[in-house]
Amino acid sequence: MSLPRPSRAAITEGWPVLLTSAVVGATFGVIARQSGASVLEASGSSLIIFAGAAQFAVVGLIKDGATPIEVAVSVLLINLRHALMAASLRPFFTRTSLAQRLGLAYILTDEAFAMGIGWFRRGHRDLSYYVTFGVGLWLCWNVSTIAGALFGAGIDRPERYGVDFAITACFVAIVTLSARHRSDVAVALTAAFVAAALRLAGASTTAVVIAGAVAPIVLLATRRGRV
Amino acid sequence: MSYWLAIGLGGIATYLTRALPLVVSLRGEMPDILRRYLDALPIAVIAALAGAGIAVQDSVPTGGAEVGGAALAVAVAAWRKNLLFAVLAGLVGVAALRALGL
Repeated sequence: MSLPRPSRAAITEGWPVLLTSAVVGATFGVIARQSGASVLEASGSSLIIFAGAAQFAVVGLIKDGATPIEVAVSVLLINLRHALMAASLRPFFTRTSLAQRLGLAYILTDEAFAMGIGWFRRGHRDLSYYVTFGVGLWLCWNVSTIAGALFGAGIDRPERYGVDFAITACFVAIVTLSARHRSDVAVALTAAFVAAALRLAGASTTAVVIAGAVAPIVLLATRRGRV
Repeated sequence: MSYWLAIGLGGIATYLTRALPLVVSLRGEMPDILRRYLDALPIAVIAALAGAGIAVQDSVPTGGAEVGGAALAVAVAAWRKNLLFAVLAGLVGVAALRALGL
């Protein structure tokens, strides 16, 4: 089978991200299973929510006895960033139907946004790159969740292998790879330190939302010129 | 049952954040300062997720292993420009530092 060129590019450029998502997806399966979820429940989370960081948070919240409303609010806060990503992608989706946009929204993840916006910023306008990568990520994530949930129950004390650190390591790597200007580094460091301080002071998922929302303001306040 | 209710509501919340900006259209040009804020936001939120995860891993404040593992992940990401290598380096770093008692 030969794929059109943008679809091929999505795979050849995106395979490290896809592989990483499979590693993290399998990790999610293992951790969900070890927190008491069944294979079906772990898989359901990946199908219905399909958002890595939020899914890890949900596992922790349910384990701690949070109500469904508390879970939903936390997920909303964690994923509010997707609204901004969707808003930045919107100009590139102008020639699509409403039904197509509803589909494009379902596969919108941090990774699909990063890869997609990178493609569009290089001047491309076709959607197959974003769609191929987004669907590929969806497949990797859901298949690896099931694999992790099926085989993961046998792993004893996963923290010994650092597996519980996979999602954090993934965030660290994504930030490092996407920081292009000095201002990106400043925003990232500010956000990371504020979130870390809030988290150590006892804040839960709100630490991420507050730090993420405040860090760019700091930058805008200190630098008026081009970012 | 409340598991599925939580997952269902979480799924709706997630989908709304992704779909609403693609469905509801805003009129007029976006002010420059808002555009720059929106540009900087994703990296800020992902960095915040990283910072929170490094500081408190699995509800336990870091003993230093996570800081070391993250530093290794940054170094490998900057050096190899490869996400998978960076994640694996972070995992190996954390596992090694934890084995040393951090």
